[in-house]
Amino acid sequence: MDWFSTPDEAVTIAAPLRVSELSAIIQGLLDDPRLQDIRVRGEVTNYKHHGRGHRYFSLSEKGGGSTAAVIKCVMWRSAADHLPFAPEEGMEVIVSGSVTVYAPHGAYQLQVRSIEKAGLGEKYLLIEQWKKELSALGLFAVERKRTLPRFPARIGVVTSETGAVIHDIRNVVERRYPSEIIISPTAVQGEQAHREIAAAIRRVSGYVDVVIVARGGGSFEDLFPFNHPDVVKAIASSPVPVVSAIGHETDITLSDLAADMRAPTPSAAAELVVPDRVVLLLQLEELRVRLSSSLLSRVAWARDEMTGLRDRLRPQRFLRKVDERRNAVADLTDRLERGYRTRIERERLLLAGMENTLEGRSPLAILARGYCVTEKDGTIVRGVRGIVPDDCLTIRFYDGSSQVRVERVDHDRDL
Amino acid sequence: MAAARYAWSGWIMTETYEVTIEQLKQIIEKIEDGNTSLEESMRLYEQGAALVKRCETLLAEAEVKISSLSQDA
Repeated sequence: MDWFSTPDEAVTIAAPLRVSELSAIIQGLLDDPRLQDIRVRGEVTNYKHHGRGHRYFSLSEKGGGSTAAVIKCVMWRSAADHLPFAPEEGMEVIVSGSVTVYAPHGAYQLQVRSIEKAGLGEKYLLIEQWKKELSALGLFAVERKRTLPRFPARIGVVTSETGAVIHDIRNVVERRYPSEIIISPTAVQGEQAHREIAAAIRRVSGYVDVVIVARGGGSFEDLFPFNHPDVVKAIASSPVPVVSAIGHETDITLSDLAADMRAPTPSAAAELVVPDRVVLLLQLEELRVRLSSSLLSRVAWARDEMTGLRDRLRPQRFLRKVDERRNAVADLTDRLERGYRTRIERERLLLAGMENTLEGRSPLAILARGYCVTEKDGTIVRGVRGIVPDDCLTIRFYDGSSQVRVERVDHDRDL
Repeated sequence: MAAARYAWSGWIMTETYEVTIEQLKQIIEKIEDGNTSLEESMRLYEQGAALVKRCETLLAEAEVKISSLSQDA
């Protein structure tokens, strides 16, 4: 019956784990916020760039001349493709990632998402600080932004004298709108680059209508001089507008913030700065057409005006006016004639009446009734007193006269 | 000073172009304005046509010029 009593030891001895179970427990333990999404600083050793694009290396820390600690790191190709620089043996870096267990190797490792050079953090902080200071000075204010000249005569280009940048800009300017390019050469990276760049901007800005400050793509450190206050201030104090084209579109430097306009690439900067000759020619053609049509419509307008004037001058209208006048004249003539005739008639009647009266009183009429008039020496003899015998008298009859000699004079009585 | 040279080269292409285009626009506006006499309009047209030609020539004949400032200037 013994065998029914389960010995205590058998209960306390745990069933053996399988390796995968153990691995899972360790994985679970590592799933700790202190080990996930962390940044670790160290020196790169045993760096290997695997053929498939993955990177394997160790991050180590030296202490007292020997290696004090080391952790294996892996960076998959998907993350490694975005590396802004090539890590090198012995390089001091800060990696970001999480600690994981790689069960097939029974090893824990740091799975790396990104690597930055140690000291970059300080540079980022420095940029943040500069940004605050320069912003307080108002150098990034939108109100400061100037518009670019439409037709720049001279374009200043602050960049490296060698390299693709100046080539690209030249090509675009030549194709679009040939103007003069004045290169103000400068080193664009290095310890003293910021001084050179600032000086190059100041040197050229007085001779040109617009300045392009350009640099090809590069690492954060390569572009670092363009964050320096010397450069930012040189851009902000330029007497002419500045267009920046620094690094790739995703890189934004303080110079870009201070520039009057920012372009994603040097070619794009050149396109912003000069108009397109082809477009200008089209606009010119439009103006030419407008010029011609403006004259044509001016002529047409003048013709219309002339037609209008000619209509107003038409002979019908004129003749009608003349007719009206003529009728008026005829009318008046009529009235005049009628009045005149009436008047004549009346005068004639009056005259006839007077003639009758006159005839009635005419001495001839009296003579016709048998009376005579006697004249002596042209004077009418009214009585016998004036005559003596042998006087020669003229006796006038109604139908003639006769000369007589007086024989005797008889006085009827004494008066 | 070498820089004085830059102040004049390139001037013909650009400022002249802008000014000329502006003149051309003014001429067209004058012709379009009914108050301008026909005779004046024809005279303006001739001027405008000459300006168009000049602009075309400026655009056609312009060539890019490149010079470099001395770094120790």
